[in-house]
Amino acid sequence: MNRIRSNLDRRTFLKAGATLGGAIIAAGMPLSQAIWAAEGKVLKARSYSDIDKLDPGFYQNAYNVDVMNCIYSKLTRYKPGSEWGWELEAAETVEQVDPTHIRFRLKKGLAFTGNHGELTAKDVKFSFERVIKHNSPVKGDWGPLDHVELEDDYTGVIVLKTPFVPLWNITLPYGCGHIVSEKAVMQATKDGGDFGMKPPAFSGPYVLADWKPNQYVQLARNPEWSGPKPGFDEIRILPIGDVKTAERAYQSGDIDFTDFSLDSLATFKKSPPENTKVEEKPSLYYVYIGMNTEHPNLKDINVRKAIQWAINVPQILDAAYSGQAEVATGMVAPGLVGHREKALVPPEGDIEKAKEFLAKAGVSDLTLTIDCLNENTFSTIAEVVQAQLAQIGITLQVNVQDSGSFWTIGMESEGSRWKDMQLIVQRFSMVPDPYYATCFFVRDQVGVWNWERFRSERFDELNAKAVTIDDPAERTKLYTEMQDLLEESGAYRFLTHEGSPVMYRTTKVDAAVRPDGRPLYLNFKPVSA
Amino acid sequence: MWLYLLRRVVLAVAIIVAAVMLLFFMIHAVPGDPAAVLLGPRATPEMKAQLHQQMGLDRPLLIQIAGFFAGLLHGDLGFDVFTQRPVADIVFEQLPYTIELILVSIAWAVIVAVPLGCYSAVRRNSVIDKLIGIMAVGTIAIPSFVMAIYALLIFSVGLGWLPAIGVGNGFSDRLVHLVLPALVVGIGWVGYVSRLVRASMLEILGENHIRMARSFGLSEKRIVARYALPLAILPTVTILGVGMAHLLSAAVFVEVVFARPGIGALTVKAVDSRNYPIVMGTVLVTTFLFVISTTLADLINAALDPRIREKL
Repeated sequence: MNRIRSNLDRRTFLKAGATLGGAIIAAGMPLSQAIWAAEGKVLKARSYSDIDKLDPGFYQNAYNVDVMNCIYSKLTRYKPGSEWGWELEAAETVEQVDPTHIRFRLKKGLAFTGNHGELTAKDVKFSFERVIKHNSPVKGDWGPLDHVELEDDYTGVIVLKTPFVPLWNITLPYGCGHIVSEKAVMQATKDGGDFGMKPPAFSGPYVLADWKPNQYVQLARNPEWSGPKPGFDEIRILPIGDVKTAERAYQSGDIDFTDFSLDSLATFKKSPPENTKVEEKPSLYYVYIGMNTEHPNLKDINVRKAIQWAINVPQILDAAYSGQAEVATGMVAPGLVGHREKALVPPEGDIEKAKEFLAKAGVSDLTLTIDCLNENTFSTIAEVVQAQLAQIGITLQVNVQDSGSFWTIGMESEGSRWKDMQLIVQRFSMVPDPYYATCFFVRDQVGVWNWERFRSERFDELNAKAVTIDDPAERTKLYTEMQDLLEESGAYRFLTHEGSPVMYRTTKVDAAVRPDGRPLYLNFKPVSA
Repeated sequence: MWLYLLRRVVLAVAIIVAAVMLLFFMIHAVPGDPAAVLLGPRATPEMKAQLHQQMGLDRPLLIQIAGFFAGLLHGDLGFDVFTQRPVADIVFEQLPYTIELILVSIAWAVIVAVPLGCYSAVRRNSVIDKLIGIMAVGTIAIPSFVMAIYALLIFSVGLGWLPAIGVGNGFSDRLVHLVLPALVVGIGWVGYVSRLVRASMLEILGENHIRMARSFGLSEKRIVARYALPLAILPTVTILGVGMAHLLSAAVFVEVVFARPGIGALTVKAVDSRNYPIVMGTVLVTTFLFVISTTLADLINAALDPRIREKL
């Protein structure tokens, strides 16, 4: 492209333009695709946001981890497919020695770029311990990590203070599990702290070749990579914030893999773009209506129960998700340990029962507020709830707020707005372990992230116990009881886990995603046209 | 002239200071905490306090604003704690994309609109004048984001002629990527400027010096191009200068819809996440651009009209 630019004059440009245009039209190739056509096997995929943190020890958000998966190694990684599971990556073996000790043995020959040497157990120790040492915002992923003991250059033992089962599901195969070079990080940061957007060395199959903020992330093959080669020579991730724009970009051929909105699912299923495979994946998000149990209007559990029973979930999903989302039974999505088979309140609710609860509370002419984010889906949810509560004589005022304001409503540290909060349309993201959801509803979190101000000693006990239990069936029992406790408090009406449909061009790529639809780029394979 | 320029510079500095201070107090008046957004749900109160300290948010507002202006005197727009990058780097790497979008949009709009306006004035009440009038009102009335969506559906999805997103690499690629966004931002201005030029031209064409020129037997083309247009264009130049703010706001939508980098998209994201240093940086730069463009418009007016020049 630079050569073209340096040789370009008006005459050349017009001549080249005419020739190129003629050739493209003759070949029947859309101009937009012709422009992006590049040498080698290039994957063009959408990300819903631009990267803003490439230090795995301080990672935030899944879109950063998608890139980290390609440029760093970790002991284990998620398996693509429809069931949650992990497989070995940089580790030759990983075994649970006892509830608080995990021994790993690294594969030999994995190297860091820039002459930073071989990836050793010392780097693993450094990478894991720095998360705790530097008080990272995501140190919770490492739970009760004490230290990592070195046995030799390739073998080490992760030592925990207390058992922590989620480590297998959300720590080792995800953000905090990535391994960085001790030597490179110490050189770059002096104290081993956050290196932000400047990775000092890479250890994965790809390197960050170029990053143009808000334009693209370009990953190229790591020439020093000695492991199995991934399919694509280059991965170009384009940040497209607006999901509808992403759909248009896919349709016009600018990208070959994207997730898309649930309200477009029916359309794309019925008439997908040419050579496109549409896959429906259940997401891990959980969406619910929360109620502030300490607000004078909602202190009476009968009022809260009246609201629970007045809410008809399928009606909400029809309006807000075009009927494409499934009803949730709790906060833990299907397919995960801890998923609850059935909610206590039926999805459709019961208006008569709701009226009975309201009568029991002795309340009439009640006016409440509901806060929601300024996104179409959430304001629609709030409006449908408004109409449903009107059926039992409750007037609901909808307060739509921007994200900066919304995400501090229930925080005591941000003033006294939490006192006025009544109902809220809430949506949280998840990683594949129920601990990640339930840990926000303990008593310590009241006024922090527990905005409903739910308090239960039994819940806290179960939450602490559940992370120490290996047996999935036993864990599920505990998490089911915890979700029952939440619902019995009247403060929660679980709505949905939404969904994350993806589509990709079958003439270009054979995509590989996690059970929740997040891309695993290393497992993507090119398809020859 | 030099005194005029000096006055404008002083005024420009006052406007920038006032705009930045106004915005600073406004963004701190609305609820929201960058730490909550940037650190995510698992951040402890201690971590948030640490981030507040790093961002200087633990200091009184007046000290914060004073610190911002003190940094500005040294060419320092601040530091984005989250990405660990200077704000100036972040803002100035996005700014060229917005400027190129605005300049290309204005350029094509003026190139098309001025001849249309002249033609409408010269052929007043003709069928073509009426058609141009309908087109003008139509393009002014349709919001740019609606235009953007339909342009995408027609030219990118339907016909596949033009890319839907991004800015491209290299000159020709960037040019192709600019076509749709510039079309969308500029099209409203075609209608607006053509109406403005038509109205000004009609007024000028009825003036004594034009009648005098006609009585000397000068051709109509020469009269329009040499004597009427330079005067008729003055209101357009003024409007374009002031219109910079409008173009910047149109660019916000267009950058989001076409997934283009730019100062608009950056500001929206920064406001959403309450990333105060970035918000301050973008507002400072856009205010500066606005002041520059209005000053330039005044100077161009003075260059075109001796009457204005004499008053400077």
